[in-house]
Amino acid sequence: MTVVELKGLSKRYGKTIAADGMDLRVEEGEYICILGPTGAGKTTALKMIAGLIDPDSGKILFDGKDYTRVEPEAREAALLSQVYSLFPHLDVNGNVIYGPRIRGWEFQQAQDIVDNMLEMVHLNRRKDALPRELSGGMQQRTALARALASGSKVILLDEPLRALDARLRIELRREIRSLVKALGITAIHVTHDQEEAMVIADRVAVMRYGKVVQVGTPKEVFDTPVSPFVANFVGQSNFFKGRLVSNGDYTVVENDMGINVKARPCQLPVGSEVIVAIKVGNTQLRTEEGFFLGRVERILYEGVTIHIDVMANGKLFSAKLPNRKYEEFSPGDEVVVGWSPDEATVFPMPEQGLEEELRLE
Amino acid sequence: MPRITLNKVTMRFGDIYAVRDIDLVIKDGEYLTILGPSGCGKTSLIKVISGLWIPTEGSVTIDGEDVTDVPIEDRHVGYVFQNIALFPHMKVAKNVSFGPRMQGRTKEESKETADKFLKLVNMLDRLDMFPGELSGGEQQKVAIARAMASGARLLLLDEPLSALDARVRMDLRYEIRRLVKELGITVIHVTHDQDEAMSVSDRIVVMRNGSIVESDSPMKLYRRPNNLFTAYFIGETNLMEGMVSDKDDRNILVKLRDGTDIKVGGNRQFNINDAVVLSVRPEYVYTAKEGLSAKVVQVIYMGSYWRVVTRAKSEDKVEYNIPKHHEPPAIGQDVELVFNRKMSIVYRRPKEGIAEAVRLE
Amino acid sequence: MPMSLTKRIDDLSSRRDIRSGWFGIITLFFLAFIILPTVYVLIFGIMDFQNLSNMVLDDPEVMSLVWGAVFTSFSLALIVTIIDLIVGIPMAWIMVRKQFRGKKLLDTLIDMPLAFPTAALGFSIGIFWGLPVEAPVPPGALGIVASPYILIMLLHIIFTYPYMVRSLSAILEQIDQSYEEAGMTLGASRMTAARTITLPLFRAGLITGFILCFARSLSETGGTFIALITVGQADKFFTGPTLIAALKNDLVLGTTDVEAVLAVVSIILIITAIIFLLIIKFVLGRVGVPFDKVWPRWERVLSRGAVPKAKDVVSFVWLFAIVIIPSFFIFAYLLVPSPADMDWSGLLDALAYSFMVAGVVTLADIVLGVPLALYIARHKDKKLAQAVDSLVNIPLIVPTTALGFSLALFWTTQGLVTNLTVLVIMAHIAFTYPLVVRNVAGAVMEVDPSYEEAARTLGAKPFATFRTVLFPIVRSAVLAGAILAFTRSLGETGATVAVSPDANTVPVYIIGLMNTGDYYLAAVSAMVLIMVSFVFMFGLRYVIRREGGTY
Repeated sequence: MTVVELKGLSKRYGKTIAADGMDLRVEEGEYICILGPTGAGKTTALKMIAGLIDPDSGKILFDGKDYTRVEPEAREAALLSQVYSLFPHLDVNGNVIYGPRIRGWEFQQAQDIVDNMLEMVHLNRRKDALPRELSGGMQQRTALARALASGSKVILLDEPLRALDARLRIELRREIRSLVKALGITAIHVTHDQEEAMVIADRVAVMRYGKVVQVGTPKEVFDTPVSPFVANFVGQSNFFKGRLVSNGDYTVVENDMGINVKARPCQLPVGSEVIVAIKVGNTQLRTEEGFFLGRVERILYEGVTIHIDVMANGKLFSAKLPNRKYEEFSPGDEVVVGWSPDEATVFPMPEQGLEEELRLE
Repeated sequence: MPRITLNKVTMRFGDIYAVRDIDLVIKDGEYLTILGPSGCGKTSLIKVISGLWIPTEGSVTIDGEDVTDVPIEDRHVGYVFQNIALFPHMKVAKNVSFGPRMQGRTKEESKETADKFLKLVNMLDRLDMFPGELSGGEQQKVAIARAMASGARLLLLDEPLSALDARVRMDLRYEIRRLVKELGITVIHVTHDQDEAMSVSDRIVVMRNGSIVESDSPMKLYRRPNNLFTAYFIGETNLMEGMVSDKDDRNILVKLRDGTDIKVGGNRQFNINDAVVLSVRPEYVYTAKEGLSAKVVQVIYMGSYWRVVTRAKSEDKVEYNIPKHHEPPAIGQDVELVFNRKMSIVYRRPKEGIAEAVRLE
Repeated sequence: MPMSLTKRIDDLSSRRDIRSGWFGIITLFFLAFIILPTVYVLIFGIMDFQNLSNMVLDDPEVMSLVWGAVFTSFSLALIVTIIDLIVGIPMAWIMVRKQFRGKKLLDTLIDMPLAFPTAALGFSIGIFWGLPVEAPVPPGALGIVASPYILIMLLHIIFTYPYMVRSLSAILEQIDQSYEEAGMTLGASRMTAARTITLPLFRAGLITGFILCFARSLSETGGTFIALITVGQADKFFTGPTLIAALKNDLVLGTTDVEAVLAVVSIILIITAIIFLLIIKFVLGRVGVPFDKVWPRWERVLSRGAVPKAKDVVSFVWLFAIVIIPSFFIFAYLLVPSPADMDWSGLLDALAYSFMVAGVVTLADIVLGVPLALYIARHKDKKLAQAVDSLVNIPLIVPTTALGFSLALFWTTQGLVTNLTVLVIMAHIAFTYPLVVRNVAGAVMEVDPSYEEAARTLGAKPFATFRTVLFPIVRSAVLAGAILAFTRSLGETGATVAVSPDANTVPVYIIGLMNTGDYYLAAVSAMVLIMVSFVFMFGLRYVIRREGGTY
């Protein structure tokens, strides 16, 4: 219902830069995930949108209007924090009705909305429970209902699933999305979990060092990353350092093992130092065609996929294959490592080196 | 080399049983993971093994020697805590040499040992830093080095990765497994994260409500779980209610709620008219000309495949995967689904209902 | 229409300029009414230096009296604090790390001395340990301490003990037990783990405990003075604060200019107290506990068997023999036959007066202290808030007698306030205000700001957020602060006497009775004061228990 725009937002705390000229546009009714490692400035960004932190410079627009200095209570952007922040002295009903009441709605009207909302999150039977009497998942759902019942046009979710068990997260992330979508509100969701972002978001904004590095649909961000960092952060990748040999239908790179590998065409000049990234899920292990030989180090059965580590020329590569291939490999096997060239991406060598570029923390 | 046996271990707080009658043997050099949702008793169990807690009943033996009453400092187990628990006032080097010093070794010897283990976890360049100056992942690596430097042959990992970012967790779990396998030590690892358990373990023990549900290798637990809860908790699965309508000597026929008959291999212990639950993992669901009718409600890009969520005529939610290169179906489209006969598993329908049988908290 | 009033405040609170203005006013009040009067005597000393110099500083007889008293105060405070530290650590350990039946009772017992008005305590100690001159001695008294120094030491140990145990256990509770557990899984025995891991992390608690005990011992007046009166030493043996009390009661130096001497004593006490406490903070912050060396073997021996048990037993014996029994000894007066004629009216008047003062003081503390606490707790990144945070401690470490004198001097010399009761109330506000601010600010800091943030994003204006979310959460801390302020005001002697010995609070009334030899009535008054304080303390504990664990 509301378009949210961030224009050149910056925020510093002493020497730490939490936001460094951040730009983002969230469309009406869109569900966007801000994905990034700890310390990327995700939470700061969210709190600036909520009005809880003043940016040093830059603008925040809601539907084109400047909201940068508007007090939080006037923004109609409800925040759901990772610790839920349910008011400990109020029961479930009291928590959820808090927003409508504080906005001065009629009691009956407010209660109707709350009843409806509690029904949607399956908590209508626990109305009288205090937050501490609820399980983690129920607390999470109460917090969600509270944020949604307040009549806000934007919902801001700060790692809403972080405190929950892994399996429960999988269950709840779908629930959150369908609820938010059903109400048609604009949602901005912050997370460090790439799988969560892929599953829940219409678009993903990858953040690092206070900047948005890439925005796109989950498929765009996964398949066509703009930097080695994104390639590695959104799904793991294997990397090769090398020198660009030729451009054409595909790019040929001579890697540091002296082997030519192929990748998607790129605009970089021949002879330049480059990085080739290939998702572990797109790395193939075959017996005949491919780029180079390796020896299977270990095989882990992980469920939908199997994880195979291959040692080639003293370097370790990983591949994730469908689980039906489990019986085809055993440790010590010689395999050919390869991939289809249009699934590999070429990047210019990062100035600060590959290792620094890939740092996760 | 230790072999650990738990005999009828029970841990009770007042009337509440944290764990009840646990029998378990951990083989020498085994990497065993105790997996279960919050409150299943897994932490109690590891605390009993470590000696931090003394069990209410039952005994713990290490290499045949009863250690139930041996104080923790004499058990020679390495313990890695969920909150990492590096001593904040000591530098990395001192943290790691603390163990050897306590064993009465000289300063020089202790330093040597510390260096050796810090090298193993690639943290040698962090010797002179305080824990607060390290990132979460680095801290946990130091904590693992510290636990092993005390000369422990048994390593207990108490949710070692749960405080870390999702992406860091993913890298670290492969690293932990590599490390302990290199050193050949026995590991007991506690976690609620099924992905993590699948990646690191030789064997997984699934726990719920203070008891062991079942235990087996990751592959067996994924392919042929004995228990409905395991099928749901490890990996993802489609659960469909039905009734056995026919059987011959190789297959049984399960009639779903809309009347569709599904042929399932094996499972001959069931009789006609038994109420059952059919469990099929999404990668074993395919589209065909004729089968279970369903309507597509959501399509999610998962990186290496598409996940299609459907609402079947039988009222069940059924999901399936299609390769990434295929065009995914449109939302609202009708599809016909069939199931891999060998990979479909049938369970007796639980009296308390499916939702209760797989409840996570 | 109260609804529209809160709504109007809600609306105003939504404006940034109004919020800044409001915090500005509160800070200004704090500086002008609490801090400035407290240290005014220093300014007075500088301005009037010539006069003070002529009257006091050049008089060797007076100066030796002053320096002797100040030295006694400091040496006493130091010894008392060190003893507290030695017996406090094991007790804190027992309270935090052990589970046993009767722990709640023990918890209450440790807090007992906090509820005892020191005036009553001084009397009790005087007759239990000391050799009273005139006061009738109830059966069971030991009467073995002839030295006033040791007597006062025994007294001070009692009321500082809870401060030490409390601040040590507060920190110990915060130190995650998994550090110790980690140490033990690495092969450290219990004692080694405690010494090398927990103790170094403990430093903050040690410093707080040290400063609290030290400041309390340094500033205590009533109990010390009464104990000295009981054993007939009030005009011969002085600590800094009792010297002021003695001067005010015309017990010494009849001829000299009393005001000038008082000013000098106050200045010396304030300056030395601040300097000394800064030194403590600095020194304790640096000196390490020896955790580098390890003696695994013999520490292992010490960790098992009889040694830890013996340590626990000594802790308990100390609590009962040194702290609890001597404190309660005053109730033995019930065994002494009462004189025929008893005049209760004086006591009732004094009680009414004390209650009135304490009530007004508490109300003012809450109304003016909670906003300042909020400011300190929620603007930690602002320089001004940090400065105010440190300044709040000043009235806590300045001896209350010096504070009272300074404050009275400030308002009377300016001719702004001359009413005695108003002065007494202002003095009491000055030393209880920090208690409320500290308590509430501490509680607010513990509350995750995300509660308020959530409320704001749900549409609540800042004052509405405070009313509906923060206040209900910290209500028990506000109440605890209020009760603390109330009992401290009720039991305070030093500040009141320093303002004027004619202010008719109960402790001052008791001193008066003792000076006229009316010991039985004094004892009864002390008992009544104890009972009243106990009622409040149990109320406090009830409130905290009931509200505890809400978040």
